[in-house]
Amino acid sequence: MIDTEKIRKDFPVYDRDINGKPIIYMDSACVSMKPKQVIEAINRYYNEFPACGGRSIHKLGKQVDEEVLKTRKEVKGFFNAKSEKEIIFTKNTTESINLVANSFKFEKDDIMLTSDKEHNSNLLPWQVNDKVEHRIFKFGDIEDFKEKVKGVKMVSIVHTSNLDGTSNPVKEMIKIAHENNALVLLDAAQSAPHKEVDVRKLDVDFLACSGHKMLGPSGTGVLYGKLELLEELKPFLVGGDTVKETTYTEHEFEDIPERFEAGLQNYAGIIGLGEAIRYLKKIGLDNIHEHEVMLNKQITEGLKDVKGLKIIGPEEPDKRGGVFSFNIEGMNPHNIATMLNESSNIMIRSGAHCVHSWFNANKMNGSARVSLYVYNTKEECEEFVEQVKKIAEFV
Amino acid sequence: MICVLALIVFGVLGIFSATHRKLAAEAFDCVFRRMTFRKCTSNLDQRLKSQITGRMMRKNVKLARIVFRHFELLSWFFLIMFFSSMIYSGFIVYNYALYGNCYGPESDAFCPLAVFEGDALSEYDSSYTGPVVYPTADDDPSIGPEDAKVTIIEFGCLMCPYTREAEPVIKELLETYEGRIRFVYRDFPLSEKHAESDWHAEAANCANEQGRYWEFRDILFEVQESCKAAEDHTWELKVYAKELELDIEKFDDCMDSRKYKDEVINDFWDGVKAGVRGTPTFFINNRVITGPKPIRAFTKIIDEELEK
Repeated sequence: MIDTEKIRKDFPVYDRDINGKPIIYMDSACVSMKPKQVIEAINRYYNEFPACGGRSIHKLGKQVDEEVLKTRKEVKGFFNAKSEKEIIFTKNTTESINLVANSFKFEKDDIMLTSDKEHNSNLLPWQVNDKVEHRIFKFGDIEDFKEKVKGVKMVSIVHTSNLDGTSNPVKEMIKIAHENNALVLLDAAQSAPHKEVDVRKLDVDFLACSGHKMLGPSGTGVLYGKLELLEELKPFLVGGDTVKETTYTEHEFEDIPERFEAGLQNYAGIIGLGEAIRYLKKIGLDNIHEHEVMLNKQITEGLKDVKGLKIIGPEEPDKRGGVFSFNIEGMNPHNIATMLNESSNIMIRSGAHCVHSWFNANKMNGSARVSLYVYNTKEECEEFVEQVKKIAEFV
Repeated sequence: MICVLALIVFGVLGIFSATHRKLAAEAFDCVFRRMTFRKCTSNLDQRLKSQITGRMMRKNVKLARIVFRHFELLSWFFLIMFFSSMIYSGFIVYNYALYGNCYGPESDAFCPLAVFEGDALSEYDSSYTGPVVYPTADDDPSIGPEDAKVTIIEFGCLMCPYTREAEPVIKELLETYEGRIRFVYRDFPLSEKHAESDWHAEAANCANEQGRYWEFRDILFEVQESCKAAEDHTWELKVYAKELELDIEKFDDCMDSRKYKDEVINDFWDGVKAGVRGTPTFFINNRVITGPKPIRAFTKIIDEELEK
């Protein structure tokens, strides 16, 4: 069991209120709140050693290198990668996916496979790639996947959907993909912050995730890749610190992972990400998942009899993790979110959640979405249920 | 329909704030689309609707529900109210431009626009509830022919700054309409507000006895600001009489005996019965102007009366 009361003391945002009411933040699938340990780690960089890494041999520069390496090792351990060399720091999941899409040596007419419920970040990089043919399978449908994966060069799939919290059976899919000689890139933006993701158990080839959804700073992301596959990638962002040597006509790339980390890095963010991972590990991902499911059950149970309320995704809360995506018949999802925000400082997301393609295909305007995390409480969920019940009566 | 209101409100706020400028642009887009029979795509109306009702939910859920359900209807209501008040405001501005009064030439009600011109009147809180009796010229000092087609009767207080403020306009009118109008001044001393004003009125009447009313009145207006309440109410006034080379003995007798006390009181009560609520109040052939209005307010009525 998670002691939310104790945890919330680590989050300075909860010290404030708006219009005399406390904040009820339920939009963690977009960005999570930050514990003071992460904020202090960021501040420590700026206060104690705000220098550049990877280049300078002075003491401050060395300290930056050490701290960045510490985070790289932390991330390696978090995903159970073989080596810290397999960890590349990026801005976010979007950049990680784009890095693979633009660096992988695709050949003309190679086939790419994604699900029909992908975030725009895992749809557009393939849509705009002229070299590949883009194929789509039905999210979660293993039979459809088996059919569509044939002849595919790479599968790029979302692990847990940000739209409804459901997950693809990725272990099985990766196995099938490999049997069909296809590589797999896993979008773990919504799974890594909430449950254990072991790249070796999954045998996934590439994995992308964001730091800002897992208590880390904005502008931090990770790309994991099997070392032998990273060797094959051609860097698409090049420049400072990506090369060992250059002449006017030639260059020799740096080792992995530095060759993919062009220019001066977000050192403060990277160091903050390391602290965020330590924080998550201390609580335990299994505990986090259990906590979210418990709260989701409370919400689902509380709203099950509300007239006109439709949950997107399966009825069972344990299949949706910490996400409760819903619509109220006759009401625009933006109305629901705005009214909750105005009446009780309940902050949820509304709209298409960057999965416009799925909503368009299903002829829906979008949804209102609650996404829970480690700091949410039963009392907050109770208040949310109460307010939604009131709003539902407005129609 | 809320977008029309939003366009106006945010348009005004947008002059001062960039955030509201963006909202005004959204509202404009929405209004333009509605005018061209297209759907409003910015969702501004929905956002405003849920923001308003969301805030109402904090206080009264039932009311919020009613507003949410009938938001379009309420938007129409407020839009009509808005345009009605705009039209009414236009009517007020029109009246003010023409008559110097918000509600037409006959009204003496408080006019908020008058504040901008800095004019007002020294108010008198009347408890008189009897019938309105229009004032006559009585035997009070006057300028202009007795048989003039237009008679302006002013009820003023010689210690009232607004009565003094109206003076240049009166002088200009007498010059412009020389021989065609008659101006009568009647005393309405507001002694509770302006100390010494009853003494000043009596002194002016004493000067009138010697045919020097208007000159003495001018002096009183000139020194109005420096006049102070004194134990001997007449000393200062006697000095002015001396300056004007009046027959001092006669003037002193007049003042000391308070010869015109009843005359001044009589003027005052005639004013009260005529409905005077402050000084200066003008009756132009019984059409009322209150306060020191711009000359156009007078000429409009005078011209109309002369044309009759």
